[in-house]
Amino acid sequence: MYWYGLSGDVSTDPADAAARLRAAKTDMSGYVPCDWCEAERLGLVKDRQEYLAAVRRAAIYLAEEGIAAVAQEKDAELLQMVRTLDEMDTVINLLSERLIEWYISVTPSFSRKYLGSGAGASRMVPMIGKKGTDLMKNIAREILSMSNARTGLMKAVSRKAVSVIPNMSVLTGGLVAARLVSRAGGLAAAARMPGSSMQVLGAEGALFSHIRAGTPAPKHGIVFQHRRVHNAPREVRGQVARVLASKLAIAARLDYFRGELDAEFAATANAKIDSLLEVGR
Amino acid sequence: MISVNGVLVSAGEGGVCGERMMGGYRVWDPYRSKLAALWYLDKSTDLPADGVVLYLGAANGTTVSFVADYVEAVYAVEFAPRPMQDLLMVARKRKNIVPIFADAAQPERYAPLLEAVDLVYQDVAQPNQAEIAIRHLPFLHSEGKLILMLKTRSVDVRQSSESVFADACAELSDAGLCVMKAVWLLPYHGDHAAIVCERR
Repeated sequence: MYWYGLSGDVSTDPADAAARLRAAKTDMSGYVPCDWCEAERLGLVKDRQEYLAAVRRAAIYLAEEGIAAVAQEKDAELLQMVRTLDEMDTVINLLSERLIEWYISVTPSFSRKYLGSGAGASRMVPMIGKKGTDLMKNIAREILSMSNARTGLMKAVSRKAVSVIPNMSVLTGGLVAARLVSRAGGLAAAARMPGSSMQVLGAEGALFSHIRAGTPAPKHGIVFQHRRVHNAPREVRGQVARVLASKLAIAARLDYFRGELDAEFAATANAKIDSLLEVGR
Repeated sequence: MISVNGVLVSAGEGGVCGERMMGGYRVWDPYRSKLAALWYLDKSTDLPADGVVLYLGAANGTTVSFVADYVEAVYAVEFAPRPMQDLLMVARKRKNIVPIFADAAQPERYAPLLEAVDLVYQDVAQPNQAEIAIRHLPFLHSEGKLILMLKTRSVDVRQSSESVFADACAELSDAGLCVMKAVWLLPYHGDHAAIVCERR
């Protein structure tokens, strides 16, 4: 079978060719490549030029269809959003730290000691927006507006995650779930991941130094950001991370293959994690 | 191959990838294209004029566009969606490029689109590069050539480039190919070897 069809059912229509190629199961042993003269004999094309134009049309049709399908994958946008969010965090932190250093260096009387409500970036940047030089004020304003955009994006990521990966989101909340999928390299990859990999996603440095040099194994990577892990008492924290990760691996498969919330699974999984915390107390 | 004052060029419409133009010709940069690098290192390198090329690992279509300037038709296979968008743009400008959105490790998926070709050119970042090349031999004319741009770092980072290269050559020979030439692409590309083969 060639792209223009078998005898009896032949055409150079791109849509037909695409359908044929999708269905095709070519046996490569004893395969004889297409001879364009055959298409000419069948009266499909007049000459070589026309053959090439037709096969090119069919190939472009298929490629555009394929690319559109990839863009349609429901996790494509979520991945970009969560990666943008993480990049924004980095940028905002770097800029705020630099701005604060700058302000302090030209304000000899300033000290971070004994400042009643702390001297973190969240307080310092608005303060520089009021007290700094005009140049500093401008930059502080930019950082603050970027922080606003970041907050909006964070909410959007959570909302999007709840609709795209509902089962994972119900276990850890949308943001952490989205970060896990992003680090795994997409929902398809996350769905093929064992729970033990899910548990140490984001702790690759510790994991490989454990494998190479025998340092203690990491108990948690990105899952640590979930409150039930980082709030858990130390003795059960690793256990909570392990159970949560294995449930997340199941949830990723539900999300990938079924795509809708399984309330019963969510309830039993959450109950199991909570029961560990009860014992720990 | 066309060269002007020792600079490799191709005849075609410019502006594909920001390449320089020289006397109406497109300058083919050896640092961006492994095929151009091969020509600078071995001036006997040639493309089958009026022939058909199967190009595996087309990426953004930079090298593909130059190859298309020389030959009758190029079947360009690329798997990643983002570079494929660029390749489609190049294919819209050049009527002799057939862009195929498929995995070069699965030739059975797009075999119905292909015809017999005079040259198989492969530049893919996979560990089983020699095997992929061998699986495309059914598409190669009996007098056709295979140019394999072996990325030794993609095969195995723990092995030395030389041993990866020797293994690949042995694998190609076992598959009934005759290694005509092998060129390391230094100084243009590190850890890359061009292997030119013919059917025995």
